[in-house]
Amino acid sequence: MDIISFDKITKDYKTGFRKKKTALKDFSLDIVEGEVFGFLGPNGAGKSTAIKILLNLIFPTAGKAEILGKDVGDKGIRKFVGYLPENPYFYDYLNPVELLKFAGKTSGMDSFKIKERTEELLNTVGLWNERKRAIRSYSKGMVQRTGLALALIHDPKVVILDEPMTGLDPIGRRQVIDLILKLKSEGKTVFFSSHILEDIERVCDRIGILVNGVLRRVIDFKNEQLIKSLEDTFIEEVDKAGGLQ
Amino acid sequence: MTAVWSVALITFKEGIKNRVIFGIFIIALLLFAATTVVITLFMRDIVKVAVDLSLSTVSFAGLLTLLFIGVNLFGKDLDKRTIYMVISRPISRSEYLLGKFLGIVLLALTVVVFLGLMSAVPVILSKRFYYYSEARFDWMIYFIAVIYIFIKLAVVSAVITLFASFTSNSFIALVLSLVTYIIGQSTEGVKLLMASKVEKIDVSPALSYMAEIAYYVFPNISAFDLKTQAAHGLSIGPSYIIWTSLYAVFYIVIALSIGVLAFRRREFP
Amino acid sequence: MQRSLTTAILVSFALIGSIFAISRVSLERDNLHQKEGIGLVMPSQVAQIIALEFKGLFADAIFSRAMTYYGGKLIRAEKLSEEEWDWIYRNMDTATDLDNYFLDPYYFGATNLAWGTNKVKEANLLLEKAFKYRDWDWTIPFYLGFNYFYFLQDNENAAFYLMESAKRGASGSLIPILAARLAYQGKRTENAIIFLQEIIRKTDDETLKKAYETRLNALKSILFLERAAAAYQERFKKQPENLDDLTAKNVIREIPKDPYGGKFYIDKDGSIKTTSELR
Repeated sequence: MDIISFDKITKDYKTGFRKKKTALKDFSLDIVEGEVFGFLGPNGAGKSTAIKILLNLIFPTAGKAEILGKDVGDKGIRKFVGYLPENPYFYDYLNPVELLKFAGKTSGMDSFKIKERTEELLNTVGLWNERKRAIRSYSKGMVQRTGLALALIHDPKVVILDEPMTGLDPIGRRQVIDLILKLKSEGKTVFFSSHILEDIERVCDRIGILVNGVLRRVIDFKNEQLIKSLEDTFIEEVDKAGGLQ
Repeated sequence: MTAVWSVALITFKEGIKNRVIFGIFIIALLLFAATTVVITLFMRDIVKVAVDLSLSTVSFAGLLTLLFIGVNLFGKDLDKRTIYMVISRPISRSEYLLGKFLGIVLLALTVVVFLGLMSAVPVILSKRFYYYSEARFDWMIYFIAVIYIFIKLAVVSAVITLFASFTSNSFIALVLSLVTYIIGQSTEGVKLLMASKVEKIDVSPALSYMAEIAYYVFPNISAFDLKTQAAHGLSIGPSYIIWTSLYAVFYIVIALSIGVLAFRRREFP
Repeated sequence: MQRSLTTAILVSFALIGSIFAISRVSLERDNLHQKEGIGLVMPSQVAQIIALEFKGLFADAIFSRAMTYYGGKLIRAEKLSEEEWDWIYRNMDTATDLDNYFLDPYYFGATNLAWGTNKVKEANLLLEKAFKYRDWDWTIPFYLGFNYFYFLQDNENAAFYLMESAKRGASGSLIPILAARLAYQGKRTENAIIFLQEIIRKTDDETLKKAYETRLNALKSILFLERAAAAYQERFKKQPENLDDLTAKNVIREIPKDPYGGKFYIDKDGSIKTTSELR
């Protein structure tokens, strides 16, 4: 079974009186179990749009998306999905422990398990010592790490990360890479978008290149040896798509 | 149902830790202190003035809480995208909206309970200071009036929830809610005015028709204002309590239903 | 070093200057307020709509404002003009429209309006509103009864309201007696004295009490002169032409002084009056 499947997803936005912008056009993609899939593309390519459709934050104009075989509109499926938005914001008068409690409860965890996982995760992301401080006082990096904890508290089968490296220093980025690798070793499926090519190369089994709402190319590192560097390949695809729009 | 409660709880926590609420409490306490001084300016109806000021303070504080913190609790989600962390959980949009409403109502309840109890202090002091034999006062009526302040705040919360469900930013929701509150306080008075002016001035039928419609569409919030009754110990009949409470419940249900419908198709790009 | 010295001098200068300025400002503001006079009265219906849910508070504020103005005039020993009295009355009216049960404006109306300016009609309008709403309050019909009796010489209405007062539980058994007495014409001054004594008994406010007592003394003097005139009539079979006749014929030793500073005299119809009109 495909863990994630996009089936001819189109998303249009109204930008003016009769004008519209197409963020995604006939987008189809299948992610299999246990793989780490990297989503590449220039800014505004539609990566976040695709991810948000998966989380039922926005609705497709046409097409269908499924997670674990169920339509993304089914709220129950999100019990098994962990999500880190790009530029995450949290209720800033609260501290991560309270936020994690909320996240755990809504995902159906019991209090004991929540406590256990909270300690485990906050230690993993290095926030245990700051756990009683409100999010207001956190740096961007700390906020990002809180987001990671929130995405993983309920031990989801599918982890979806939208630009998880933003705001992190090299050490932080390294931690995220290690985390993704750890998730992979646990058999989880990871679907994430990023700009940072070297991280993508290091961690992904497959990557997809999205330009102007169209999936230009999917590269399977097992089967394909890249002739050019990933950077050149990326720029080549952008040029083939007619440049940025 | 636990989803609704979880959202309510986290909304409440975020609201109660807001610095603004601390400021509102300080303002209220200062007003209570001022009450004990202001009543000395009056002649005989001292207890009535104390009740006026005390209950008005509780009501005012409650409204400030809803308009500044309540609306902001929605605003954070809609403007600053904190909603992602909530909606991405296994929660439906309806559960989210209802949970938010409940959280704001809990906040209003806290304010009313805390300040309502404190408001009794200036009233007790006023009774010690001067109580003339023709004054009427009944603690039960006083606290019924306090409960009705809460009922009013619950209805306003539903209105705020309704506007938040389809407006694009929190400032618009704030303005719409405020205007609805003001209209809600006035519809009854305007309706009576129209009826009484029949002999004096020509009221165009279109105008009085509009006033009639407004009376039904907007919440008649003045029905929950029992300050005069509390100030003069005037009794409130059980049928009044039953019908006004039912009205509040029905109005809240309608407002929330419309909100849920509007919110179902809402996107968060 | 030089910078902070300059700053210090500047700030001290501004500080001293502002203290002088604010004391001048408060004088100027006082001047301004006095010239302003009374300003507009907000019509009742408008006030009721603007006040939203704070009608009681609004009523308190309107009453307080009018009272403060009145008090200020009293302190400066200035008399109020017809216009000013009218303004005060309309404020009391608006306040009691906002809160129908608010005693203070009714009380003020009863005690000051009727006595101060002969605005009895307005006082009674207020009191009649109070009579309708404050249906448990016996003092309202009591004041109404007094006004009808004393100012409007309408004994019928006076008796009616006095009985209402008794029905509402007026304390003191004098009320029904008074009501009965009023059924008869005549004996006006005597009845007024009894009435006033009852009112004084119920009054706690010292200033008010003194005012009533002054009036009571004046009335007692009038009663004294009335009785003297009747005795003169009895003895000499004709009415005295003026009060000096009473002392001349030794009916009384001396003419009492009018506490209001006027002079007592006998009117054409034979009743005792005073040039001060008890004001």
